[in-house]
Amino acid sequence: MADQHLSPLEMRLAELSAFIDVPATPPLASALADRLRAEAGLRPSWRWPLPSVGRGTALAVAATLLLVSAVAAIGIALGGLRLIFNPESLPPLPSIPNQPGIGQQTTLDAARSSVGFVLRVPTVSALGEPDQVYVMEPPAGGAVTLVYGARPGYPLQPDRMYGLVLTQFRADIQAENFEKLIMEGVRITHTNVHGLPAYWVAGGEHFFFYRDATGQIVNTTLRLVGDTLIWEEDGVTHRVEGAPSLQAAIAVAESLEPAPSGE
Amino acid sequence: MSAYEELVRRYQDLAYRTAFLVVRDAEEARDAAQEGFLSAHRALGRFRVGAEFRPWLLRIVANAARNRRRSASRRAALALRAGRDPASGDAAPSPEAALLAAEQRATLMAAINSLREDDQLVIGLRWFAELGEAEMAEVLGRPRGTVKSRLSRAMARLREVLERLEEDLSNG
Repeated sequence: MADQHLSPLEMRLAELSAFIDVPATPPLASALADRLRAEAGLRPSWRWPLPSVGRGTALAVAATLLLVSAVAAIGIALGGLRLIFNPESLPPLPSIPNQPGIGQQTTLDAARSSVGFVLRVPTVSALGEPDQVYVMEPPAGGAVTLVYGARPGYPLQPDRMYGLVLTQFRADIQAENFEKLIMEGVRITHTNVHGLPAYWVAGGEHFFFYRDATGQIVNTTLRLVGDTLIWEEDGVTHRVEGAPSLQAAIAVAESLEPAPSGE
Repeated sequence: MSAYEELVRRYQDLAYRTAFLVVRDAEEARDAAQEGFLSAHRALGRFRVGAEFRPWLLRIVANAARNRRRSASRRAALALRAGRDPASGDAAPSPEAALLAAEQRATLMAAINSLREDDQLVIGLRWFAELGEAEMAEVLGRPRGTVKSRLSRAMARLREVLERLEEDLSNG
């Protein structure tokens, strides 16, 4: 409130603000995660968490929300969902803190064999093999995240250790709802990948929301490492995140080929 | 972390502070803020294209808080935080200056608490939640022009009360 034209009384009020006795904000985010999980049909738990809720619990709740989102995206009933994520066994991910939902680290060959869709990898020569591969399941069919370090033409993002992240999972993006719910200050550029509708989401907030085929709101963090290209192809949603430009992201997208067998 | 949880973390301080200024009770404010975030989550599908999230959220939180205020038996007065001057840096004021400033704050606080509730709320939202007129209009559910004139009248009444209090104090 740096207004140079404040009256003396307004200046006193502005100064008084720092002295008003407002209690510390309670842990709303973790409590809300619990209630949203309950609303989603998982273990009903309409209660406030104990004050001693720790970071591990908070991460677990956050991870649960992400899993719920992923499952909702493919329209699976939530009642029988078994949550297998365990934040205590997370592999170290120094560049992607607070993103526990990308799953367990594995190999490209194991990921290819384990998911229920044709896993594809970029064939842009500068990228080569991914440095890390993660598989998350549920959702049924799995979600795969390929993580690349710095490569020629794909520099590290500021404050990040990775240059590019490619995620693939089964879901249906409905363009109307996807656009409708984009949040605050995000620039969306319509483009295409192999002639299919695609969206380049850049700048502004890192959040987006969309509806899945069942009409449920799916929320996820759109940007792990940078601006994002998102499109659906053959029933698989693809996200290329962290490419230095739209052109670079499209080059990656259009270079995708089925992951070769390691045998 | 899910996107919505990240949004909650980003706005929870403001939402809670706003709710507290409406209901003046820590537990009621907590419940109102949480209820507001839940309602906002359910209403995401109705979020208007191009709208800003913050005032939209504040309106929902404030509605929840107002509903709770109506059912509350009484509301506590705003109080000053006890302890060290939170704004003081390396150059601490002299004890005399600090005492004078504390007295002036206490007088201003007393003047605010002597106002009627509507005036207290509009002043609190403007200066203690640091909302702009457009956001205050959302929170109060009134047109921006109405909010502006309400704030203006509340400030005039505060000025009047404060002058009277300070005059009484100076006369001993």
